[in-house]
Amino acid sequence: MGQGTGTDLVSEDLEFVFPHLARSVYAITSPSTPEYNCIAWAAGDVERWWWPVAGSFAYWPPNIPLQESLDAFIKAFGSIGFTPCGDANVEQGYEKIVLYVNENGKPTHAARQLPNGRWTSKLGKVEDIEHELDGLTGAVYGVVAQVLKRPIDE
Amino acid sequence: MSMATIRSPQALQYLSVVGMSRDSQVVTEQWLKSEEHYWLPITRRPQGDAGKFQALAETWRREVQFLSSVTEMVLHPAYQRIIGMGTAVVPHLLRELECRPDHWFWALTAITGADPIKLEDRGKLRKMTEAWLRWGKEQGLTW
Repeated sequence: MGQGTGTDLVSEDLEFVFPHLARSVYAITSPSTPEYNCIAWAAGDVERWWWPVAGSFAYWPPNIPLQESLDAFIKAFGSIGFTPCGDANVEQGYEKIVLYVNENGKPTHAARQLPNGRWTSKLGKVEDIEHELDGLTGAVYGVVAQVLKRPIDE
Repeated sequence: MSMATIRSPQALQYLSVVGMSRDSQVVTEQWLKSEEHYWLPITRRPQGDAGKFQALAETWRREVQFLSSVTEMVLHPAYQRIIGMGTAVVPHLLRELECRPDHWFWALTAITGADPIKLEDRGKLRKMTEAWLRWGKEQGLTW
């Protein structure tokens, strides 16, 4: 599930919620599922819902602050080898992710770069899509606030 | 006194005394239905717990479908109203979990005070669902 070869499926519903998608190239690449979210998908986990919330309601890496802050999310991805970097260009030998924040600076979404330079995102409880970086910016997910990278295991 | 100034029950009593033609009865019935709808629109009529839960759950599903934030999901007004329904909604939540697993765990814990999910299963929707369904059976609940 998730990392498909891409389809030509598009959705007017998605384009209504994310208007930039309508002006860009994107494809739905998986069925809907509530089993994992964008943060998990960016981290390569399709079995858990990641979010910094107290209690047993979601997964969050051990010893990372349970805070809805950019810093806590950077630390969470740091726990699996990602470090901040300056740009979202393709870099040989590295995989990159981006974190989106809303107008209050709270993280809302994460996307992972594909080898072709495009991006893959899980949209909440619905589908994965392959998209351009700007395709998901807007009222719902806000803007890209941080790029992270880690070496690709060969 | 004109009919327009008479509330339904009084109007019925009054008209039954003076007698009515068949046409008058039809007009009066339609008038009473209209007035009933005016005073109690369908959106304000009492619903059973099942209907109320389904309506709120559908609103919640639709409005949080693109969110990853558990916090935003559970603070959604429809979700909070479901929690506000109290223990009566627990069987409906368990049935919903069984048929269409989703993030109802916060509501279940808020209402019951229980938390049957193992630490290692945090975030795993299927395992979390199984834990709550098992809990429901252990409590003798049916859904």
